Amino acid sequence: MDGKCRVGVDIGGTFTDIVVVESNGLCLTKKVSSTPPNFALGIANGLRELLAENNLSPQDVQEIIHATTVATNAIIEHKGAKTALLTTRGFRDVLEFRRGRIPDLYNLFYTPPPPLVERRLRLEVDERIGAKGEVVVPLDEASVVAAVDRLRGDGVEAVAVVLLHSYQNPRHERRVGEILRDHLPGIHLSISADILPEIREYERTSTTVINAYIGPLVKEYFASLQEQLNAMQISARLLTMQSNGGIMSAEETRERPVAIVESGPAAGVIGAHRIAQRAGFNNVIAFDMGGTTAKASMIENGEFSRSTETEVGGGPSLASRLIRGRGYALNFPVLDIAEVGAGGGSLAWLDRGAFLKVGPRSAGAVPGPVCYGAGGEDPTVTDANVVLGFINPNSLAGGAIKVRTDLAEKAISERVALPLGLTLLDAARGIYTVANESMIRAIKAISTHRGRDPRDFALLAFGGSGPIHAVELARALEMKMVIVPPSPGLLSAVGLLEADMEYHCVQTYLASTVDLEPSGVSEVFQQLENRAREVLTRDASKAEQHAINRFADLRYVGQTYELTIPVPAGALTRQDLAELSEAFGQEHERTYGHRAGLEPTEIVNLRLIARALVGKAVNGSQQVSGKKTQPADRRVYFGSDHGAVSAPVLTRSQLSGESRQGPVIVEEYDTTTVVPPGCGVRLDDWNNMVIEVQPVDKGQSNGWR
Amino acid sequence: MALNVKLLDPITYEVLQNGLDSIVDEMALTITRTGYSTIVRDVLDFATALCDREGQMIAQGLTTVVHLGSFPDPVKCILAAYANSIYPGDVFILNDPYGSGGIHLPDIYVIKPIFVDNELEAFSCVVAHHSDVGGRVPGSMSTEATELCQEGLCLPTLKLYERGVPNEAIFAIIEKNVRVPVAVIGDLRAEIAAAQIGERHYQRLAAKYGALTVRKYTAAFLDSSEALARSEIASWPDGAYEFTDYLDGDAVADGEPLVLHVVVTIEGERVTVTFPKTSAQVKAGINSPLTYTKSAVYGAIRLALGADLPNAAGYFRVIDVVAAEGTLVHPRPGAPCGARGIVGFRVMDAVLGALAQVVPERVPADGEGGCSTMSFGGFTADYRPFVYVDSLAGSRGGRPSGDAPEAVPHPMANQANTPIEIIEASLPIRIEEYGFATDACGAGKYRGALAINRNIRNLAPDAVLQFRSDKRRFLPYPLAGGRPGTPSSYVLVQGDDRVLLPTMGARSIEQNAVLLHTTAGGGGWGDPLERNAASVQADVWNEKLSVSHAEREYGVVIDPITLQVDTVATGRLRKRLWAAKSLSVQSRG
Repeated sequence: MDGKCRVGVDIGGTFTDIVVVESNGLCLTKKVSSTPPNFALGIANGLRELLAENNLSPQDVQEIIHATTVATNAIIEHKGAKTALLTTRGFRDVLEFRRGRIPDLYNLFYTPPPPLVERRLRLEVDERIGAKGEVVVPLDEASVVAAVDRLRGDGVEAVAVVLLHSYQNPRHERRVGEILRDHLPGIHLSISADILPEIREYERTSTTVINAYIGPLVKEYFASLQEQLNAMQISARLLTMQSNGGIMSAEETRERPVAIVESGPAAGVIGAHRIAQRAGFNNVIAFDMGGTTAKASMIENGEFSRSTETEVGGGPSLASRLIRGRGYALNFPVLDIAEVGAGGGSLAWLDRGAFLKVGPRSAGAVPGPVCYGAGGEDPTVTDANVVLGFINPNSLAGGAIKVRTDLAEKAISERVALPLGLTLLDAARGIYTVANESMIRAIKAISTHRGRDPRDFALLAFGGSGPIHAVELARALEMKMVIVPPSPGLLSAVGLLEADMEYHCVQTYLASTVDLEPSGVSEVFQQLENRAREVLTRDASKAEQHAINRFADLRYVGQTYELTIPVPAGALTRQDLAELSEAFGQEHERTYGHRAGLEPTEIVNLRLIARALVGKAVNGSQQVSGKKTQPADRRVYFGSDHGAVSAPVLTRSQLSGESRQGPVIVEEYDTTTVVPPGCGVRLDDWNNMVIEVQPVDKGQSNGWR
Repeated sequence: MALNVKLLDPITYEVLQNGLDSIVDEMALTITRTGYSTIVRDVLDFATALCDREGQMIAQGLTTVVHLGSFPDPVKCILAAYANSIYPGDVFILNDPYGSGGIHLPDIYVIKPIFVDNELEAFSCVVAHHSDVGGRVPGSMSTEATELCQEGLCLPTLKLYERGVPNEAIFAIIEKNVRVPVAVIGDLRAEIAAAQIGERHYQRLAAKYGALTVRKYTAAFLDSSEALARSEIASWPDGAYEFTDYLDGDAVADGEPLVLHVVVTIEGERVTVTFPKTSAQVKAGINSPLTYTKSAVYGAIRLALGADLPNAAGYFRVIDVVAAEGTLVHPRPGAPCGARGIVGFRVMDAVLGALAQVVPERVPADGEGGCSTMSFGGFTADYRPFVYVDSLAGSRGGRPSGDAPEAVPHPMANQANTPIEIIEASLPIRIEEYGFATDACGAGKYRGALAINRNIRNLAPDAVLQFRSDKRRFLPYPLAGGRPGTPSSYVLVQGDDRVLLPTMGARSIEQNAVLLHTTAGGGGWGDPLERNAASVQADVWNEKLSVSHAEREYGVVIDPITLQVDTVATGRLRKRLWAAKSLSVQSRG
């Protein structure tokens, strides 16, 4: 063994997960408390301990790949830089207008989130570019210089520049950038043509503003992390997970911090994707349930589902285009992840009509579920899971957390069972089922709402609570198989080590496909490709590792939303364009149930995803840092069909390739897997638990009677 | 009723409710993604819902409030007209405001009966505002039309599909009677696709749980909504609450103000809304058909009931709307109604004004009065027809608990704006300003939202402009001692010629004509002298209010250079204003 190792670090709001993989494949893991606001400190501490415990030296660390919520938190908590925005004369309020519509129809008191740049710092310059890129009003440089005085006087730290139609002609934006650089050296500058050369001014403005707003903070974070690593004498290069599921160097991330806003959730999906690939599953729904939310994402034909538009800072979202408006628009490539406010800590409550609801309010890390005995009073999903016998009634996380079943029982009795006239167990089962219902919405949002049938997919469950709920979710959606990977609670950190380097770029290119000259399209793709290869090479990847995929956003002439369709490599022909148009028609039919026959289509954007295939499989045996407990059999309630039954409690290593019939509870350091009666569980060659889900008879759905 | 609900399995209840809610949202999503016109795909002027077999709305998409409240009437008209001849595979189409339950001609309903095992179970309902249905002006919302017939193509309740077979004649007639057939047929196809998705998913739910179970539970959703509304209204003090609002006038009768008088009577668990002194119907196309009036009333009451009612419309049952035929809010058949939005908005505003006396903590001051809609069309330089509909709103009134946030649209039509870059890339139009109008809001302890400026240049060789606004003379009403909002305006600039347009009308305009539009600004809530000086200072610092406005409206003296509050001068000024105010109250008393 040469002692070399790679490190994956997933930094969450509460815990930081660290995974170290040695060159012999041995995998070491550790969970430590996060240390906000200086997250770098927590990483350094955890890493130092993990290395020391395993006799590794800092010099052995070759690279550190991490996922961070630092950018998201800055937006959610409004702790970003003091940011200014320069716009075309007449349009400084585009940012505050947003798209108008609010997500609460009958709420007269709805208040949208405040703009990230206040009106005083939104300044206008004299210029105008038309829709075809023509200069309607030349840039008056004096108006830019006038704005500089205001920026200086108000102590602005970052500036976003967004001029109308700059995706067609970026010259004015770039010149404004030069003037700002000359007058305000060192200021963090985000130019919309660099960040998102894409039509729709609000979305482009919001995205560019977010980039500026989090820029200084992300830069500072990386500096601090680098400093910590230097102090530990770790000279490994530092890479970061982006929202799109690819990794990027720290340098590149500093340029486009907007790319890492959904860093954390993406890592889990990558982990799920790699596991599914190895185990031979092409169609998988990745399901990640943590303390406050549950997330679902689709992997179809071995490919991620991606989105180029999302929203940040608005709380959990179903990734629906309809219920937009709670957060800030962010049009940047992300893995398409639907999120609902249902996690282990979500609170159960009764609404005005005395109906049982779960979430979105959460007990959070403090006080946490009632059963943690830290002062929580309202029952949570975790409390229900304790009462049902799913979760170890004595302790969790290798004894780190003591469990008070009596407190959970009392809370559920008083606040749910009594008012609803249910038994304690049925009330707990009700909480479990209603939470499942909410999670089903997340899964539907990325499946049925996109015209995909969940029955064609396996459910890959991870996160602290995912494997407790997965089989019932699968049942409700008539999915046939659940996969629970090794160390499901650490899958995100593992995913980091398996990710490839990725660079996504886009250029708006408005053209009808009917009379389009293919060479023009090829040329733009070539420019995008050159830029992407340059970035990847700068990040020390080799040309032979590069993989380029091209896409075009198409729509029928007259529509406003596009579908993204793959484009073949090489110089394009008229035939290619005709096939592109046909592929769009088929996708339109598949997604929306109809297509418009002979109607002409048009291209809106050209997109390119460049990858450097640097990820390495993590499939060695895993060692968990922490104490192990010896589980005992216990009574578990699977709904009134089955009543309370005695279920064996096993560890993963006690399972085999032979299917074992439920009920079985599989207890591990970081999570519990529930296999209900009627379902069989086995291990596959990669140490994944594979659970065959048996459908419930009609009328017995959700085990509730 | 509540008892009934208790007998049901609470979990199935939740599952089915979520199931129906996601169906109507998915229907809406389908329209957004596949619609063609800016008014449908960007502004989102449409609605989706599921109604039960009797036409009661059991789930509504997150769409347009005033559309949602309209669904029961067209479904009931279908049931009445086709009692024994509704078949699986049928799709109904209609827009007739008199006899079919429509609300004006541009709003075309597409309604698909849902059958399970050959039994009619429900209706999948869609309505979308089409960019044009013919008639005298582009956009088909003429304020000068004097008969329905001038407003475009009128479709009574027809079968667009019978047993799955399309009636091509209807498609052909529509295509030849509208200015922009590609957009209209494209939007219509989006509506049909959405209705089909609603049907398919409802059938799946019924297959899983049994059609009778779904029926039992949807009845319970309605009952639960009704029961919650009843218990809420029971807690409101009984009485008759009056409110009078005005429209500046219409485009035919030349500036004669119109009266919108409502009486909201709370009696036990029920609400009755009447319009005793409301003006008679007018010659101009702003009359509000009864379905539309009712929908605006339902919306207003639901807003005051609080946000957490279930998504089924059982609360309609406790509301009676009584309007005499021949009035502005219940015109006789054949009366023009293309631009009835303006009256509908005023109905909602007036009912809310009355409810502010019932539940003052739940009702903000009046806002911009709903969308100022202008449409604009003709032919491009290469003689392609175009129609553009621009709907501008977003200045609500101050709230009992705080300022109105900027740019939140009127609650009756929760619409989105259209990206300027998208407009300019597809139409011969340039937008030259889209921003807040400094100082243009009603002062108050909690101020109204700022008015909006939007300036639009016509680049086509010539075009016809149709515009509709209000609240230039009768301003958005304040509450609790606030100041009224600020007036709207329309100015047309052609060459050196600068004309203040009336609030409504139509004009031919030349190339490069610029329309300067300012909406009304929101009314204030509470006495402006009670507004925190720091809040006034923050607005000045943020360039939303000027130094002189702060002094004049709030008595807050701010140094124009440092932008700091002069505390001493402010104290002195506010004291003087207080004294003047109490003096005037005394002299009035």
